[in-house]
Amino acid sequence: MNKMKALFTVIAAVALLIHGSALAQTNVTVTGNVIDENRQPFPGVTIFVGRPLRALTSTDDNGNFRVSVPANTVLVFRIVGYQERSQNVGSGRTVLRVQLAPIDNQLDEVVIRGYQPRSKELSTGSSFGIDGDDVQDIPTANIEQLLQGRVPGMNTQVSTGAPGFRGSTQIRGLSTVSMTGSGNQSFLQPTSPLYVIDGIPMDADRATEYGFQQQGPGISPLSLIPQEDIASIEILKDAQATSLYGSMAAYGVIIITTKRGNSPIPRVRYTHNSFIRTPPKLRETLGGNLERQLKLQQIYGNALTVNDIWQISETPFLSDSLNAYWNNSTNWQDYYYRTRYNQSHNLHIDGGDQLFNYKANLGYFSDQGIIRNTGFTRYNANLRMEYQPEDRRFQIIGAVTGQLGQQSVGDGIGMLQTGVANNGLSSTLLPPPSFYQAGGSHSAVLATDNDNATRLIRANLEGSYQFIEGLRASTSLSYEYESKTEDTFTPAAANDQFAEVYSYNGRTTQLYNRNSLSYAKEFTGGHNIFINFFNEFRIAGRQSAVTRNERSPNDQLQGPIGFDGYFSRGGGLLDDYTDERAASFALAASYDFNKRYVLDLSYRLDGSSANGFENLYARNPAIGLRWNFDKEPFLEGLDWLDYGAVRLSWGVNIIPTGTLERIYGKFNITGNYNGQQGIGLDFDQIPNPDLQPKTNTQYNVGLDFSLFNSRVEVIYDTYLKKVENELFEQFLPNTTGFNKIFSNGAGIANYGHELFVMFRPLRLDSDFKLTVSVNGAYNKDVLLSLPAHYSGQFIRYDYDPNQYNQHVILRVGGATLANYLYVNEGVYATDADVPVDPVTGLRYQTNGQFFQAGDPMIQDANSDYYLNDQDYQRTGNSQPLFTGGASIMLNYKNFGFNLNGSFTGKRTILNNALAQRLGLMGNPFGNRVVVPLNDIDLWRQPGDQATYPYVYDYKRFNSIRPVRFDQTLWAEDGTYFKINSIVLSYMFERDLVRQWGLDNLRVYISGENLHTFSRYTGPNPENVTTMGRDVSEGYPVPRTYNIGLNIGF
Amino acid sequence: MPQLRDYMTSNRLLRKIKAALGVLAAGLFLLGCEKLYDLPEEKEYISENINYGSKILEPILGRTNLMGQFNPDASTMPLKFEIVNARYGDGRPVTDLFQVRPTYVWISAYDGLETSLEEIEAKRKLEDRPLFEVRESGQFILWASSDNDLIEPRPEDTTLLVQDTRFFDLKVTNTGGTVYIPDFQFVPWRERPYSPSNDIDPYTGGVARDPSDPENPNKRDYIRPWLDNVIGDKSNRPLQSNNNIKDVVVYIRPFEGGNGHNLRFKFMGPGPDSSWINPEVFNETKWGTLVHGFNIQKTAEYVQYDVAYPIPLVNLQTPYTSSGGGSASIEFQYSRKGFGGALTYASFGLDFNIFRAGDWEIVFHFRNELPKFEDE
Repeated sequence: MNKMKALFTVIAAVALLIHGSALAQTNVTVTGNVIDENRQPFPGVTIFVGRPLRALTSTDDNGNFRVSVPANTVLVFRIVGYQERSQNVGSGRTVLRVQLAPIDNQLDEVVIRGYQPRSKELSTGSSFGIDGDDVQDIPTANIEQLLQGRVPGMNTQVSTGAPGFRGSTQIRGLSTVSMTGSGNQSFLQPTSPLYVIDGIPMDADRATEYGFQQQGPGISPLSLIPQEDIASIEILKDAQATSLYGSMAAYGVIIITTKRGNSPIPRVRYTHNSFIRTPPKLRETLGGNLERQLKLQQIYGNALTVNDIWQISETPFLSDSLNAYWNNSTNWQDYYYRTRYNQSHNLHIDGGDQLFNYKANLGYFSDQGIIRNTGFTRYNANLRMEYQPEDRRFQIIGAVTGQLGQQSVGDGIGMLQTGVANNGLSSTLLPPPSFYQAGGSHSAVLATDNDNATRLIRANLEGSYQFIEGLRASTSLSYEYESKTEDTFTPAAANDQFAEVYSYNGRTTQLYNRNSLSYAKEFTGGHNIFINFFNEFRIAGRQSAVTRNERSPNDQLQGPIGFDGYFSRGGGLLDDYTDERAASFALAASYDFNKRYVLDLSYRLDGSSANGFENLYARNPAIGLRWNFDKEPFLEGLDWLDYGAVRLSWGVNIIPTGTLERIYGKFNITGNYNGQQGIGLDFDQIPNPDLQPKTNTQYNVGLDFSLFNSRVEVIYDTYLKKVENELFEQFLPNTTGFNKIFSNGAGIANYGHELFVMFRPLRLDSDFKLTVSVNGAYNKDVLLSLPAHYSGQFIRYDYDPNQYNQHVILRVGGATLANYLYVNEGVYATDADVPVDPVTGLRYQTNGQFFQAGDPMIQDANSDYYLNDQDYQRTGNSQPLFTGGASIMLNYKNFGFNLNGSFTGKRTILNNALAQRLGLMGNPFGNRVVVPLNDIDLWRQPGDQATYPYVYDYKRFNSIRPVRFDQTLWAEDGTYFKINSIVLSYMFERDLVRQWGLDNLRVYISGENLHTFSRYTGPNPENVTTMGRDVSEGYPVPRTYNIGLNIGF
Repeated sequence: MPQLRDYMTSNRLLRKIKAALGVLAAGLFLLGCEKLYDLPEEKEYISENINYGSKILEPILGRTNLMGQFNPDASTMPLKFEIVNARYGDGRPVTDLFQVRPTYVWISAYDGLETSLEEIEAKRKLEDRPLFEVRESGQFILWASSDNDLIEPRPEDTTLLVQDTRFFDLKVTNTGGTVYIPDFQFVPWRERPYSPSNDIDPYTGGVARDPSDPENPNKRDYIRPWLDNVIGDKSNRPLQSNNNIKDVVVYIRPFEGGNGHNLRFKFMGPGPDSSWINPEVFNETKWGTLVHGFNIQKTAEYVQYDVAYPIPLVNLQTPYTSSGGGSASIEFQYSRKGFGGALTYASFGLDFNIFRAGDWEIVFHFRNELPKFEDE
């Protein structure tokens, strides 16, 4: 259940309305006890009295309190996350027992809009809240993983198991058609939501914007946030909600609020996790003599001439079986994959009350990867204090965050471990790694010393002042400095006997300032307005540099380098230098009538020095309407309807894509002319001064209701999102003299439905508490347009050196990202099944080879009886149509059980891993491993009706290419349902742990990534790239078993 | 108010139903929105830039021609092709190209391993087809059923006048649209029933003149075989057949009196009497695999096979063809004792095609002297 911690300001506003008689009379002493929903004593509840309210005291560890107040006053009990209770103290009633109920009704939540807390009841946009408690108990570096399957419309794919990296997150479908890289490394430009952490925006894509080829450590900034410090997360989905956050928010906003201090007496809470990460099932291989026998059988069975048999005697590792060098059974994968034991520790200290509170969060998290020589470690220290005098006119908040992420990616690049994957495919007949094998790539994998670090420090100061009732000014200033380094030392043994040094250092800085003025006023007759004006200023900088040196003198000298210019391999300043100034102005106005009809209007101007002067300011308007129909008089009597609302919104986010270089061109210093320095245009791209910013328009209709005392809650949204003026890189004919031009003209539409349903089937006073929630989203993307001269179709040909040839086709009106492949229709059972050209009398052929029995039946799209590039066809859709999840939460007394699952449906995955596995059989003379194919429906003899072609015919293998990557044989439905996590917890009885000197003690066991149900034949339908390719070089997603405990002192 | 309250309570069930219906209706409305979105329909793609490598088709009549290098420019398959507006340059309609005649089409693959004519014939069948058509791959087919009488070839006088030239347009369609590729030209060569056909004048069909002396009406061109170590019995030098010396030439010509699908090999001696050489003297010849023929008959004058035409049947490399399979390959070989008593081998042969079915003989004419068969 989504609970949002109420912010003090709003509660204060509500509290001001409560009248209590504070007439001075004789005091009475009131004692009492506060309990929570589980009837446990509730410490730390603040008790207020008077008008204006002032804090008297708060409950002690046992939930008891004692106050002395005038008779006939009202005591107000407040604590974050719980509904406020007011209790009248009569003249004689002096013992109170107060039970506080948690805020679990959607409408009592507070949401953040344009950095201002607003009641969810009045919010017109589409958003979804998650409580911080929901992202605990499962140790993870990246909390995004834990949001998977919880938010309708947010598609999170844990597509890599690399520690410290992140998968992909998309809100409401596809927002880009920009792809980089080739082959398996084709990479869809990430369009992650904007993260706003305690009011400071953060670009989550900054570590990944260069795809697999990015330089630097690549530690996701999200991996630096400790989960234990998160109080709540809110996801904004529609443009009404996001437009106030401007251009950066075009792909949605995720607002993370960290915990704040709330305990009159200081509390120390310690969280510990001990967890084991295990690699998934690895590829089965045939070892030792079995490999040799299989290879020989293959040669005997498929040789065409006697020379082919002779070749065996020229291949020692096949013929010389008695030679100890060739007589091994080495399990190569075993050298690289391992089960790891990890720990995390987190210490949370907080204290204070409404007046002054503080918190400190100190954490250590370690995830040593399941691939050797990889891992991630995080250290963090987050401090926060808040001071607010009792009249609540003045508030000041200060926070400092220090985070250090350390990572090693071995000789890979994190998400891709090509070295490991290749070595894992070595023949088992080869001797195991030893010094004798020095120089092999094995050493490169294990001995490469890679040390990445991201160090981030952020200071944040926020102050606000209320001039008169309702008018509040606030300002916030933050500075963030992130230093990124990567040091890679490749020892001589791993690099042809010459050591190599690579060193990267970079920094990003952000100075951020926001000033706002807000005014709230209630008029008589139920008219309420709220106006919020704010501006934001941002100075963002980035600079990074690289040093590379080959042939360092020995393995001991890892630096400093620069001793020898001859072996320097350049580097210097990288071209990602940024010095951006941004200024934004936003005005949001909200009006409601009796909280029944709500109108939201907002407008935001975003200016950036990265925009051209033609489009210096991007304009982001939005309109939202809400009708709380439960407040209509004709529905008021319905006791089964808790609330119900219809939301309508429209909004636009403009994203400037025109960098100065794209708009004005790039000018290079190009030598001398007549003694004058020449400056000439760079001919890579034609400047395009007409470049338009990308426009993201979204319509949203939503319906929320809750029935039967919150036992059924439903959130439904449907939307249409149009992304227009998408940047499109067009390559030009060389007659233009230029290489490419960036233009607009591409557009995508996403439309879909999102549904969240929650049930609490059991009675509220039962010992069992059961919450079942299910959510799902259907998103369909359609390519709206392409630049005009493509007349509706663009093919991104990808003839990469590894012959993946998996092209991508964009066709207007269809799903945006489809594959362009040969269509496989099975396997020819007999020679007679191969079609014959009636004109020439020849069989269907390719590369000069006629197809025969056992070869793949590939559709001859153009009917010319030749298989060639003209036979590619549009097929599949690499983006999922359905995403969602389910969760079950069951509590019985002190026991808790929590299960979370997520699903992704209807998406085409290209099972390149299987293609590669079958392709291993292509050359029995090679030094690659062989794999058992018993489980594969393979053609073996004439007449077999099989799915997969005959792979043992090595003589024709390279011309027929039966397991070529560019065919739909590998296109499989990637639908899956994953058991994300199961948590079992037990909370010890308070009385018991008291005897041990503890305040509370909770233990839990949990598992993550436990099982995936899927018909997909590859290892993991989720462990694929954003383009839906199952990359066997990828980092497998481990399974995690964890034992953890929470201790409070 | 109490009255209102009672009223509301009494209608509670009704209102529940109404509310539920309202929600349902709203839901249906929202689901129906997709049509309101005005999104473009997905349709097949047809490029404006589809074209052919060449739009001038110059097939040779009397044999199956598969022509046209179609570039679909990634248009969505399948495409429908249609020849429209076939006309001469002066606007007269062209109809002769589309006469329907029976012609052989393959129904299963010929592989050269067939053991009887029936087995070969079972792999193809006669089908009524227009002489000229375009198939779904965009390739043009001129079937072997075409001949000089059905389709008038290009003029003998080598002039190519616009009014005599056949033109047509091609209509290319898929569900995404239609594109016309205009102004193809169809300029056929007259029949040349066999190959090599350098002894036929391609314009007139008559005897080709000697290319080294083209003005001389008394000199002609010959088909030339290859020769290897064939020694002349008089001159004692290797016989040659090239541009200058034509010791041996080949005639490919029909003969009378066969069963309609015979192929004979004959060897003609020199001199005015032109006596036939007994094929048995080519003692090392592998008669069984010389051509893919059956029912071999050997006489003192010729060796005859029953064959299936055309020869070769398909463009596939078999034991009977040249490498690559483009033409049938025959080799005649004999041996005799050379100097020192060792066997010395001599051979000659020809790579040829015969496109028109009938009784054909291939005559190797030793014009100047016989090969030397005697031992040294």
